[in-house]
Amino acid sequence: MTEAQDYVDQAMAGVAQPQPMYKALRESNPVFRSPQAVVLSRLADIEMALKHTELFSSNMDAVDLGNIRPLIPLQIDPPDHAKYRRILDPLFTPREMARREPRVTELVNEMIDRFAGRGECDFHEEFAVPLPCTVFLQLLGLPLEDLDQFLHWKDAVIRPEGATGYESRHETAAPAALQIYDYFERAIDDHIANPRDDVMSSLIAARIEGAPLTREEILDICFLFLIAGLDTVTDSLDCFFVYLARHPEHRHQLVEQPDVLPSAIEELLRWETPVPGVVRVAMEDVEVGGCPISKGERVSPLLGAANTDPAEFLDPDLVDFRRNPNRHRAFGGGPHRCLGSHLARMELRVALREFHRRIPDYDIKPGTELVYTAALRSVESLPLTFPTVTP
Amino acid sequence: MTHVEVDPDRCVGHGRCYTLAPKVFDADDVGHAIVIAEEVSGELETEGRDAERNCPEGAITLS
Repeated sequence: MTEAQDYVDQAMAGVAQPQPMYKALRESNPVFRSPQAVVLSRLADIEMALKHTELFSSNMDAVDLGNIRPLIPLQIDPPDHAKYRRILDPLFTPREMARREPRVTELVNEMIDRFAGRGECDFHEEFAVPLPCTVFLQLLGLPLEDLDQFLHWKDAVIRPEGATGYESRHETAAPAALQIYDYFERAIDDHIANPRDDVMSSLIAARIEGAPLTREEILDICFLFLIAGLDTVTDSLDCFFVYLARHPEHRHQLVEQPDVLPSAIEELLRWETPVPGVVRVAMEDVEVGGCPISKGERVSPLLGAANTDPAEFLDPDLVDFRRNPNRHRAFGGGPHRCLGSHLARMELRVALREFHRRIPDYDIKPGTELVYTAALRSVESLPLTFPTVTP
Repeated sequence: MTHVEVDPDRCVGHGRCYTLAPKVFDADDVGHAIVIAEEVSGELETEGRDAERNCPEGAITLS
């Protein structure tokens, strides 16, 4: 059992290549009780847990981010969940995201302009972090000068300093959470006074069976956006560019065959699974794969393990940009399927397309030791070097 | 001809089908799949099968 615990500890601490660990865990202990949670690593069990929210709830007991009410829609289960998705999903469809793509393309190019002539950059610091945060501010209609404040808040609630495991999270994250509520209170006031074409104004105008959302509901949606929309795309960009820097043949394929980009993104999402797992709470005593789970226990479906399960994927360890079919679960599944998945796909598509158009060749700076962050897979710093490009 | 169906109880809006097979599927206003070519053959059937195989929720059936 200590070996299996090792795998889980590594996954929690963050590792460069988690795939062999997923395999070992799935083969030795597919349903494994660690001190943190019962970890599921077989696709069939993971799919079942994601689908059956009446057995495995996504409620507030799953993860504590210092919030005082359930985040909407993540911490609300069906049937109430559906009424929120009914008004939120239309704001994040592929079509809606396509409408916002030109502006994101401009933004990405402005970011590349800042380092293209320098021949090096810290990709994490100068691209992967500011891109999703700026897109988020634009989408919600918030002032761009609030960027640094937002970055501070999201780190404070997602990676609270000094918090280890799940238990001490609330106290460490709560002060930042209160500031987040307060900030959004003022932003809502401003949007009520000056409605415009953005997501915040849409939330204020939304009606559920004729009634507007309460102020608390709008706050709980904004809080969710903040924790779900910023870090995850940063993680994806970090993971993808580390992979592409280390696999020039894959990178060349992106440059030489631009049509492969959409399916390459799906394959990188599968292989890297930037959000390696999610957390649920058992609502009653259940059994999964012969392992009894008690009501109230935390259960963690390991999405990265689902995405490398040979029961679903032929040659799961082969990264094939034209893999078909590719039913990966990088965005989860069932009712809580990632609301922002199409926003993430659009940001990743634009980032990979524009970056490789302008900087087709790059390396990780020699001597760099990549440090992966806990739980969500970003790197602390990603120094890249490349031939200088005149803007 | 082959008949295309989406199970609305299973579809949660991954959007893979109307991305891969835009002549067979479209999105409704929440981004869930709707069938726009109910009876398919040839190239459309190939597209439809592609979508069926790629749906993470197993919500699509061609029969």
